[in-house]
Amino acid sequence: MSFFGLIRENGVFLLGAMGKTLELTLLSLIFAAFIGLFFGLLNVSKNRICNTIANIYIDCIRGVPLIVLAFFVYFGIPMATGIRLDALTAGIISLSMNAGAYMAEIVRAGIQSIDKGQMEAARSLGLPYGKAMCKVVLPQAIRVMIPSIINQFIITLKDTSILSVIGFPELVKAGQIVIARNFETFKMWAIIAIMYLIVITTLSKTARALERKISYGK
Amino acid sequence: MESKHTESKNMEHNNSKISIKGLRKSFGHLEVLKGMDVEVSEGEVVCLIGPSGSGKSTFLRCLNALETITAGRVIVDGYDLTDKKININKARENIGMVFQHFNLFSNLNVIQNIMLAPVELKKLTKEEARARGMELLAMVGLAEKAQVYPSKLSGGQKQRVAIARALAMNPDIMLFDEPTSALDPEMVGEVLEVMKGLARDGMTMVVVTHEMGFAREVASRVIFMDEGVIVEEGTPQEVLLHPTQPRTIDFLNKVL
Ligand SMILES: Nc1ncnc2c1ncn2[C@@H]1O[C@H](COP(=O)(O)OP(=O)(O)O)[C@@H](O)[C@H]1O
Ligand SMILES: [Mg+2]
Repeated sequence: MSFFGLIRENGVFLLGAMGKTLELTLLSLIFAAFIGLFFGLLNVSKNRICNTIANIYIDCIRGVPLIVLAFFVYFGIPMATGIRLDALTAGIISLSMNAGAYMAEIVRAGIQSIDKGQMEAARSLGLPYGKAMCKVVLPQAIRVMIPSIINQFIITLKDTSILSVIGFPELVKAGQIVIARNFETFKMWAIIAIMYLIVITTLSKTARALERKISYGK
Repeated sequence: MESKHTESKNMEHNNSKISIKGLRKSFGHLEVLKGMDVEVSEGEVVCLIGPSGSGKSTFLRCLNALETITAGRVIVDGYDLTDKKININKARENIGMVFQHFNLFSNLNVIQNIMLAPVELKKLTKEEARARGMELLAMVGLAEKAQVYPSKLSGGQKQRVAIARALAMNPDIMLFDEPTSALDPEMVGEVLEVMKGLARDGMTMVVVTHEMGFAREVASRVIFMDEGVIVEEGTPQEVLLHPTQPRTIDFLNKVL
């Protein structure tokens, strides 16, 4: 069958799977943002214990391959606790925990890129640390972080393919299903690669444009 | 006003706004402040001069606990900053600080910069804070800049906004750390004028500065410090025109 024939036949199915992929990415990244904010703030705090907790989390997650984390969450946890997780939930948990560790580093770098004078000026007016952080430092840090966040989105988007191993119907899993039916291995993987390519290139172009815009604004 | 003035004169001894005894500050093994004693009474303008690296900024930052105090006692506006139990944020509400590099909040426009603390700390409602902010901006001559972001202001304008921002909390004391050192020469005057106005209105001020003209004109007292100790202090006449210590003479020869 031709490329176009394959696209016509499986387009809707594959687009649906791409949708699932993006949904999984987006949901995971939203949770990862909270995890990252939490551990990032622990990391920049003056409290040693907070720093240590954040560093342990970040080091543990970064020291374990995502596929092992996914197996652990999907197969390991139900075995130990008796709580069964569906593939979507397990996928979101694994990806969020993973991306959360990287987001924590993005948050830390973002906050540390802001001139210390901003925090000091806010504190000198009598604002408590939390208020100074929320109203002055974080809004500036988030601007700086936007390109890195989009970058992380791209990485997490690619990482969703790993979740095909726990049977979640994202794009790679969908490809495997189609190929099992029609044996068009070469053309199907090419189609899937192109689909990823289009989405990811669009995202990284956006990231670069935003990066340029932010540095002009300075 | 007249009666308040005489009253404050009579009460000079218990009217100490800042009382510092044996203040020491170390960064690791480096001792930067080596035992300083300073008293500042209400309405006084104390100018702190000294060579770069002598500890002037560190001293000033101890007065609102931006630096932790290693030893000694620092009582500012009735708050013992060396007491761990005090609410440091409450104390800071009464102590305004103006920085060498302005430190305006770059995510907020001018009026938002000024309104932030009074509104967040529930000192004023939004409307009151805006009205007070506009009043202060008019006072520093920048009423038309209310909606502008800091990046669009000149250095002199930034520093005047920073002063207005500090005043919005109605502080009893104002600390200035080389407020004109980062400015182009033609902008120094406009900032000093605002500070002179504050001094005239009776604000208690501690000013780290290299502007000897300002010190001579406005200071009630000049303190010369070097290597973490006070070398000489007295009226501007005494310290700037008739210094007695070799280190003071040497320093003044270099800057004048
Ligand atoms: N956060 C800090 N950590 C370590 N050393 C510091 C710190 N802040 C200031 N110092 C040191 O303390 C000394 C006095 O600095 P500072 O108070 O800024 O002097 P000045 O304002 O008179 O130029 C300098 O030797 C400086 O390097
Ligand atoms: Mg200094």
